[in-house]
Amino acid sequence: MTESAIVSAAITEWTASGEPTPSLMDRLASVAVEALRRAKLRPRDVDAVIATTTALPFDNPSFITISAQHFAHRLASKIGSHGMKCINVCGACASTAIAFATADAMIKSGYIKTALVVGADNSPRGFYYQAPSVLDADLATGYPHKVVGITNPSYWAMWARRRAYEMGKPVEDIKELMALVKVIHSEYGARNPYARYRKVFTVEEVLKSPVVCDPLHLYMIAATSSGAGAIVVADMERAKKLTDKPVKIAASAIGGPLSNEPAPRLVHFATAGGGRAVRPFTEWRRAIEEAYKQAGITAEDIDIMEVHDTNCFNTINWIDQAMGWEREETDKLIRKGEIRHNGRLPVNLSGGTASFGEAVQCQALMMIHELFLQLRGEAGERQATKKLRVGLCTAYGAYGSYGAIIVEKAW
Amino acid sequence: MCGSVQFPKSNVCNNPDCDHSKEPEQILLSPEGTLYSYTIHRYDLRPPFDYHKAPYAIGAVELPEGIIVVGRLTTTDEEKLKIGMKVRLKVGELYSDGENAYLTYFFEPVEEVRK
Repeated sequence: MTESAIVSAAITEWTASGEPTPSLMDRLASVAVEALRRAKLRPRDVDAVIATTTALPFDNPSFITISAQHFAHRLASKIGSHGMKCINVCGACASTAIAFATADAMIKSGYIKTALVVGADNSPRGFYYQAPSVLDADLATGYPHKVVGITNPSYWAMWARRRAYEMGKPVEDIKELMALVKVIHSEYGARNPYARYRKVFTVEEVLKSPVVCDPLHLYMIAATSSGAGAIVVADMERAKKLTDKPVKIAASAIGGPLSNEPAPRLVHFATAGGGRAVRPFTEWRRAIEEAYKQAGITAEDIDIMEVHDTNCFNTINWIDQAMGWEREETDKLIRKGEIRHNGRLPVNLSGGTASFGEAVQCQALMMIHELFLQLRGEAGERQATKKLRVGLCTAYGAYGSYGAIIVEKAW
Repeated sequence: MCGSVQFPKSNVCNNPDCDHSKEPEQILLSPEGTLYSYTIHRYDLRPPFDYHKAPYAIGAVELPEGIIVVGRLTTTDEEKLKIGMKVRLKVGELYSDGENAYLTYFFEPVEEVRK
């Protein structure tokens, strides 16, 4: 099978959501052209553009513009196209990981040689919601927000409380741990020129922020934001001609909903019948296990991680799932500060979604961009001090959408 | 037919091992279950769902049929809630607009909490 690698990556600074200018398409085009320029490529050299669709303002829940579902085609014609293949991907917060994995699979299969993976978002402010529309009144996922008032943070809060319970600890314990995660992530956000928030928080400040739904406080939840990113991926032979530091894509796994997942999943009313797995977050773990298998490695080989922290519980949970160890070990790792740049297992040296906010349909590109910089030793003040070879990026989204990407130095 | 249970009702089974040889049947779920986890929401939702006024409590309840269902809880008093406690289904008013009352399902604690 052909090997593949990242040749170049570019992201915009993440900003407050809701600003109409520059338009999303302009932002997408700027960052796409920047990624091509860094790879010394022209649009003509690109065989396929794979884009994620955007989350639009849902003042009217039944309204989704057809244009937002066709970013790939619109971008191709905007930057100049010789007939490049255009693919639009959607998978909630995991969208760009799935787009990235799609590009990787197309290259590894030999169908194409070079792909441009892009995403951009200008997410609506406040709680996300799914609502029934005239054209799509799905009982299972369309009504929970309307009938029960459940929000994404409600699910996360219930998971966090349940984890503390299963570990025999008071809920204050996980609350304090989540605050510490926010503090550590913020230390790196402060050093990242692309992050929306560059303030370093203290545990006290986080715990003094308003309670959204206990044990989650406001500062533990990522604000919806705006951002865009682009990554050029090519087959290894070509990548080596374009850069002396190609970052190999050792694995790109796409995860989906598992019917026996024991934990209630966003944005469903209920878990599925037909038997439940013993361990919660089985569907999170499954995406990672597949990636380990593809790459032929184990958790011990991971030097650095970028994990999708829509809220601070998810950082903790992703470490639990990626390491597959007793949950107590995750708590110790974080409490000892071992996830910092000089620690045993650096996590989210980008500053994470905690510092960026979340441009939903673009977030995995931000994380892959950081791993690209870290492995190449180009992360400046955020650079991990240990020797890096292998990095893991995990993306998580509603409806059971997951991606796990493993990258490796190829020089 | 695989005998798998799901909520809410659907026109097809959601068990990946089902052979779909029969139409799904509608059954009544048990009115009692065990509290799997919970949270108390401190923000109102925005329009058109701003009838969800804070504070309100959300719970995930494990039913004897083997599924976990999310729903509103009748109390927002954290002292009265505990993971693992028994809760019972109760239909109640979510809001009314003067003309109509809009009902939803709640879960109510059926035991005293000793914390």
